Amino acid sequence: MRFFQHFTFFFLFPQWEQMRKVSLDSNEEFQRKNLAVHGLNMLFEHMASNYRLEFTALMAFSSLWELLVPFTRDYNALQEALSSLEDYDKTCIESALHGVSNVFQQEWGSTCACQVILVTDGSLGIGKGSLRHSLQTMKQRGEDKKFPLPFPFSTKMYIMCVASAEELQMTDALDNLEELLRLSGGDGQIFTVEGPLCMKSVHAMFGRLIDYAYSPFHAVLHCGNLSSDVQVFPRPEPVVVDEEVEPMPKTVNTDLEIMGFIEIADISSPPVISRHLVLPIAVNKEVDEVGAGATDDLDDEPSASQVAGKSPNFCVLLHGSLKVEGMVALVQLGPEWYGMLYSQADSKKKSNLMMSLFEPGSEPLPWLGKISQLGPISEAAENPYGEDDSKSPFPVQPQVKRSYAQNVTVWIKASGLQTDVQKILRNARKLPDKTQTFYKELNRLRKAALAFGFWELLKGVADLLERECTMLPDSAHPDAAFQLSHAAQQLKLASTGDSQYAAFDHNIAPMHTDFSS
Amino acid sequence: MSFGKMKMFSVSHKTVFVVDHCPYMAESSRQQVECDVLTKSRAQGVIPLAPVSKSLWTCAVECSMEYCRILYDVYPKDKLINYIVSDSEFHILNSWRQEDQSIQELMAALAAVGPPNPREDPECCSILHGLVSAVEALCKITELQHEKRTALMDTAERVANRGRIICLTNAKSDTHVRMLEDCIQETILEQNKLAAGSDRLMAIQQCELVLVHIYPQGEDTLVSDRPKKEISPLLTSEVHSVRAGRHLATKLNILVQQHFDLASTTITNIPMKEEQHANTSANYDVELLHHRDAHLEFFKSGDLHMAGTSTRENGLKETVTLKWCTPRTNVIELHYCTGAYRISPTDVNSRPSSCLTNFLLNGRSVLLELPKKSGSKVISHMLSSHGGEIFLHVLNSNRSTLEDPPSISEGCGGRVTDYRITDFGEFMRENRLTPVSENSHNPSGKLPFERAKSQLERYTRYWPMIISQTTIFNMQAVVPLANLIVKETLTEEDVLTCQKTVYNLVDMERKNDPLPISTVGSRGKGPKRDEQYRIMWNELETLVKTHAAATDRHQRVLDCIIACRSKPPEEEERKKRGRKREEREDRTEKNGNKEAEDKSWQESERLKSLLDKEDQESEVIKDSPDSPEPLNKKPRLMAEETQPQERAKGPVSLLTMWTNRITTANSRKHQEFAGRQSSVNNKFELYQHLKEENGMDVHENGKATR
Repeated sequence: MRFFQHFTFFFLFPQWEQMRKVSLDSNEEFQRKNLAVHGLNMLFEHMASNYRLEFTALMAFSSLWELLVPFTRDYNALQEALSSLEDYDKTCIESALHGVSNVFQQEWGSTCACQVILVTDGSLGIGKGSLRHSLQTMKQRGEDKKFPLPFPFSTKMYIMCVASAEELQMTDALDNLEELLRLSGGDGQIFTVEGPLCMKSVHAMFGRLIDYAYSPFHAVLHCGNLSSDVQVFPRPEPVVVDEEVEPMPKTVNTDLEIMGFIEIADISSPPVISRHLVLPIAVNKEVDEVGAGATDDLDDEPSASQVAGKSPNFCVLLHGSLKVEGMVALVQLGPEWYGMLYSQADSKKKSNLMMSLFEPGSEPLPWLGKISQLGPISEAAENPYGEDDSKSPFPVQPQVKRSYAQNVTVWIKASGLQTDVQKILRNARKLPDKTQTFYKELNRLRKAALAFGFWELLKGVADLLERECTMLPDSAHPDAAFQLSHAAQQLKLASTGDSQYAAFDHNIAPMHTDFSS
Repeated sequence: MSFGKMKMFSVSHKTVFVVDHCPYMAESSRQQVECDVLTKSRAQGVIPLAPVSKSLWTCAVECSMEYCRILYDVYPKDKLINYIVSDSEFHILNSWRQEDQSIQELMAALAAVGPPNPREDPECCSILHGLVSAVEALCKITELQHEKRTALMDTAERVANRGRIICLTNAKSDTHVRMLEDCIQETILEQNKLAAGSDRLMAIQQCELVLVHIYPQGEDTLVSDRPKKEISPLLTSEVHSVRAGRHLATKLNILVQQHFDLASTTITNIPMKEEQHANTSANYDVELLHHRDAHLEFFKSGDLHMAGTSTRENGLKETVTLKWCTPRTNVIELHYCTGAYRISPTDVNSRPSSCLTNFLLNGRSVLLELPKKSGSKVISHMLSSHGGEIFLHVLNSNRSTLEDPPSISEGCGGRVTDYRITDFGEFMRENRLTPVSENSHNPSGKLPFERAKSQLERYTRYWPMIISQTTIFNMQAVVPLANLIVKETLTEEDVLTCQKTVYNLVDMERKNDPLPISTVGSRGKGPKRDEQYRIMWNELETLVKTHAAATDRHQRVLDCIIACRSKPPEEEERKKRGRKREEREDRTEKNGNKEAEDKSWQESERLKSLLDKEDQESEVIKDSPDSPEPLNKKPRLMAEETQPQERAKGPVSLLTMWTNRITTANSRKHQEFAGRQSSVNNKFELYQHLKEENGMDVHENGKATR
């Protein structure tokens, strides 16, 4: 569920058996390979127009694997590679999966997610190197020869079978593919051809894949009455909050509602589960209307995109102001799920409107508190940002301080205890100047010793203070001796555990002497 | 806010500490601590104090407190501890409630218990009292369990009840340990029966017993270590046999890491001033604990060993070493961060630790570098504090599919150049958010964030996105009204201010002041002056109409506008016809008509003369990040508009009398020169009208760039 900001994928081509041909109505014989190429071409065309920013790579494999096209956004290159696809000798899925793993990690690391599309005719190879063989032997192997699944990165595997389910069920092919899917992490699907094998049915199968995995995510971004149609790319994936308590995945609403704005310094590099581009889109109908009106007066008919570029869009306004002001917009994605919109600049002075999703929940960032408790500043008695923006109501402070912020006492290492005792002695030698610090440190030690049941220490420190008292130089202030013996006596009393003197909340107060006033 | 995959109600939701308080725990651990460290200068003739030694009880308590400290630092919520002490009876020191979950609470309760009484009858004392009570405690419902069960209603059974018992004791033998396990197993079965008939109790589905046998240094253990084994489907048990002191501390540190999925990072190369020699600095290391997902990337890529991992002396604990990068200036930047995890220093009181934590608590952030063999520098993490809590942020260092995206200027609306960027920036500042106390009640019954959304709705009822679409928002004179009318409720004073704004506009119209009407699309001459005012009034009416239904006072502002703008129907009609004719004229002008240019020359001459008296042109808000600092849009005093003697023609109306009074009052204050008033960095461009002669319109430098 974690890093689904990057969708990238591979195609795997097993060997296409020359003998298995398909008859079409026209008696023209089509290889299954041609059908698959047809389906893939359709997918590439869809992506070129709706999923342009996706990086895609194409791989063919047999006993060895070959990267035909490395990761690219150039869909023409992918289609060209498809058209010149050669036939290979043998099907060996395992080595191909190793190839996928290596190529992907080298290019993208392991925090990116990848969609792997395996296109097959359903024959899984024969003998050693076949999927059947791989699955049977995978448990008897050492660390160095591990089966490549699951991949070290998040994976969704789609297995496209250019064969019908009935065909596959005649052998154990479907069982083996299901096992493969399960090993990949289970987050994927097997697609088979419905009805007779032909252009149309393969077309339909790839259509189902597009609907399932490559449909663009369209939403409307609202800021009060201002709004814009947008495509969110890559599309946000459903998130499971807690597999046990809330097993239903949460999905992002198609209405994204801005709730208000926060300074970048206040939101403070928050952790996000994914990042997405928010691209304003022109809803076709509107463009047509504008286009129709404009053609009356002008000779050159502007293209739809030119018209869209010229009509004001809320995303562009929002982006510009977020950038100039150094702010982010807090956006609600669904019930108890929030994100932020901000301007993201890449190195080449280009910039874009981006949306990051927070972990679902009512309080994704502790320093903002509960998101539902964030209200407009106009309600506050005085502007929490100050009249000159010199203040900020953030971060929200937690009720209890963490250990490193509250001077806790830990004596696990001898040095911790020694340091605390030495601190008391150092201050003892500077009495009465350091009376306050002396008692503060003394009381800190006393509290910890009482809590740990370490009464022996209280006696020991009392002895030390008495010794200090005897070692006071003649020049010492008379108050020093009084304070030292008073403190020593109080510690001794506490070490008896007598509830009158050993109360945790009690503090040893400086002795009131004629000198101290 | 960890992204860990730990279930909400895993065994780690509830931990019961059962600590033995029987007489034998008063025995010395026989690990001695020298607390009288004498400095050389004072050493002569002083007999150092005999070293002190901690009892088994003290060792158990301080190590369990350290376990809690780390836990509370990393999980301040929803990972709960119930602390029980056992002697001749059980003593429950706190509850599952969130407010009881703190070191201070526990320390105070422990102080009240005190060390074990060595003279107590050992026959009466047993750890069993505590263990039975621990099982009962595990059946008690926590606030989070209650909240989730209530929220889930029909599917309340999804809320599981699991827990862990950590028992710190001195057991007699392996047989004794088995007896304790059997007893816990029986108690679970009994308590589960009881729980079935109660709302406030839940049956235990899984219990993990971690028994730590503590024995003094120099003795042989009577109890053997045993890895986790299943006693029953409900109960697992493991036994750790540990010497008191340092070993026990290490054991509990390892346990807290295992139990809560923690991992260790060592920050290396931290420059620190030497205590003795303030002008030299040495490099220190500080070890931090945090959720192990902060290392997820290393685990996944199998880079853990490359990332400077080292195995410690005990062979059980590993740490990832990251290098401190001295922060440059405090640049405010939005890092792409894939996780943020609370930290706890392993050695919280050491000088290097407190130096690092104080540095961070003071608001500085530190980037951390992953030392790589290849020599390339990769910033993988960042330490930063938020509200007194320190987080280890995981920064993304991978490539992304979002690289090299098309610029927003290439998409829809990308070629529009006069967005009201500065105005929308102002709008965003007004719609910033602030935390509202949960105790404060709002009459509307809406949650604060819903009220924030309502405010956005009100503020955007009429909000033109580009400069050329609006007149009123380009006029300084309208600002007071525009700011007020969007409010949910208006005061009498607000209404008065709005009315003044309207009167002021009426006055401007009477004087025939020019308006910043957009000339985009009609180069040279814009619409006629009376037409300009008609457009302005219409727009103002549109704005106010969207709010008129809110309250009577809003309605009164609308009434005021309708009353003040004169528009007899026939005149309206005539104007409309006139406008159509003008439009036709405009179209001919577009074709570079010489006559039109002459006209616009005349127009600009007239403007020039106006400019001498007034600075109306400066009211056009140059709205672009490229343009100089925007003028401060605080409502200005109205005095700048007019000179009283000019208006004293004809019969004096009530409005004029009132305006005169205000103006006289204001004229006592210093009035700035028109040029200086609209200057930018103390520079004011003279002869601005010449630009217009050259056919440039006012908005040309108001281009919005992205």
